[in-house]
Amino acid sequence: MFNSTGNNFGAGQITFKDYQAENYVVLNSKFTFDPTNADYQACDQLEIYVPDLTIDRSAVGGVFIRFVEDYHYSWGDSVYDGGTVLKSWIKDKNTIVIEKQPWFDENGPLIIYIVTLYPQLNQGGNTIKSTMQRLTMTTEGNYLRFDYETFMCEFEHWVFIHLKFSGVTYAYREALWEVTMEQLPADITADVPICGGGNQMHPNCDGMAEAHIENKVLTSQRRVMGFFDTAHDPFVYAFLVRD
Amino acid sequence: MQALPSIAFGGFSGSAKGVTARQVAGRTILSVRAWPTGATTNAQVARRASMSKISKSWKLLTNEQMQEWDRLAEHTSGQSAFGQKAELSGMNLYIRLNVNRAMAGESLLSSAPDSTAACPNLIYEQVAITPEMVVIAGIKHESSPYKLVLKMSASQSAGISNGWGKTVIITPGMEDDWGEADVTKLYFKTIGVEPVVGEKVFIEAYWLDTSTGFAGQPIQEYAFVTGDSPYQRRVKATMDNLDPNEESHVSSLDVDFSTGAPVAEFNAMCLGHSNVASSEVYLDQQLPADVIGTGVCLGRGNGADGKIIPQSYLVYIRNYGGKAEMTFAHRGGYYVIPTECFGSGIIY
Repeated sequence: MFNSTGNNFGAGQITFKDYQAENYVVLNSKFTFDPTNADYQACDQLEIYVPDLTIDRSAVGGVFIRFVEDYHYSWGDSVYDGGTVLKSWIKDKNTIVIEKQPWFDENGPLIIYIVTLYPQLNQGGNTIKSTMQRLTMTTEGNYLRFDYETFMCEFEHWVFIHLKFSGVTYAYREALWEVTMEQLPADITADVPICGGGNQMHPNCDGMAEAHIENKVLTSQRRVMGFFDTAHDPFVYAFLVRD
Repeated sequence: MQALPSIAFGGFSGSAKGVTARQVAGRTILSVRAWPTGATTNAQVARRASMSKISKSWKLLTNEQMQEWDRLAEHTSGQSAFGQKAELSGMNLYIRLNVNRAMAGESLLSSAPDSTAACPNLIYEQVAITPEMVVIAGIKHESSPYKLVLKMSASQSAGISNGWGKTVIITPGMEDDWGEADVTKLYFKTIGVEPVVGEKVFIEAYWLDTSTGFAGQPIQEYAFVTGDSPYQRRVKATMDNLDPNEESHVSSLDVDFSTGAPVAEFNAMCLGHSNVASSEVYLDQQLPADVIGTGVCLGRGNGADGKIIPQSYLVYIRNYGGKAEMTFAHRGGYYVIPTECFGSGIIY
């Protein structure tokens, strides 16, 4: 765990959970910034300044950006949260860069999720293959269901998860979901974005929700109305550092 | 027989039999008339035109700018073959730095740069030259604004001990690719012929600070051309590796397996095909067995329709019939094309 020493886009101090190997690092963080602030508007790319990392540059990894949006109707409230994935890389030992895109500048404040492995290239060896393990996703009465491509790859210090939601029992569509991920190690605590789901107000990016993972249980309450719209296939893609 | 004053001693100037003596700042400089050793390259023509243009632009500077250059020149040493510092005028320095910058594609610098910080020396591990490959490897990376300038000769007889005068610019400023400068294509394009096994290729290389135009100390090296090289290119799949006899469904491709970590680095602009949510890539050679498997990566819509929808992809990597195939198969998120797949992803 470490804290940022600064940034160029007006965010406060950012806390990272980390695993740093000799030739790659895994970082987890969630933070918010306001795209109307002058620092953000002046910068060409988002830079987060950090204490020395083990690597002095990296190839590109994906981080997620999300906005929160509610509409209040006479018949009730609707959620139109959305977001997408951004490119991110380590520029030098002390700088993490996130590409700047104007897509959501009108939708702030914006949330960034870093659930990312930053690799280096030309490291004298090929990719080390992982062992894929399917995850058994258990809910009471099996109200929430997942696709075949719901799995993890477990390492000593971190885990990669890919979750793909496939359906929910109608009565639970707006309920708090609590899913036990049977094979997931218990030492993972993180907020992760759930990408996808139809978003009537923002069809260009689709929906983006948030889930919390702790002690093998994934919880999620707030989701776009079109979460299970046909072919919108909500998913989670995250490299998560173990405690 | 001609009776001429000797030009071998100080105080003389003039030419005799192709040797010229001149007095510069109290020093006698002897030079042998140089003759071109080969056809003029396009790069040489461009460089001479650039130098002429830059020389003329000196007169367009303000007095203050000229004085800045003069002041900087006072603190800057020119090259000397005799171990003595040669004096540089402001105009000389202006031309020298701007020619370097122009070579690297930078615009004209009217004001003298503030910094005269020395460029780092080029540090590398090996040069590998075969008739099919020209690579400098193990380069200690220097980040922007430094760029690598590389001059090489056509392969020369093994008996030639000094062939650096025959080098031409192979690249006027490139970034190393993770410690590797694979200039095979550039070499063949510039030199025009393959290096010959058993002969020598002469090399001159240095870092150029593209922000100031200052160049680092050049390394001069030669390498014998070998039939095979112990140097192994890292395992990648790029557009250069596509099988020309098959239809691939990507407009760009750069999948790099050289991480030595539990991920590969994916880059592909997937175009889709035949109304199925996948893009096929056919390579002209097999991939090593240890990278055959299933990858996972992220994607983001990248079409003219403005869709930037995040998606996940499985990447099926397999060898078949002596070649390799990769299928970027859409899984999570709403499928749109084109989609740019990028970033680190595991392989299982």
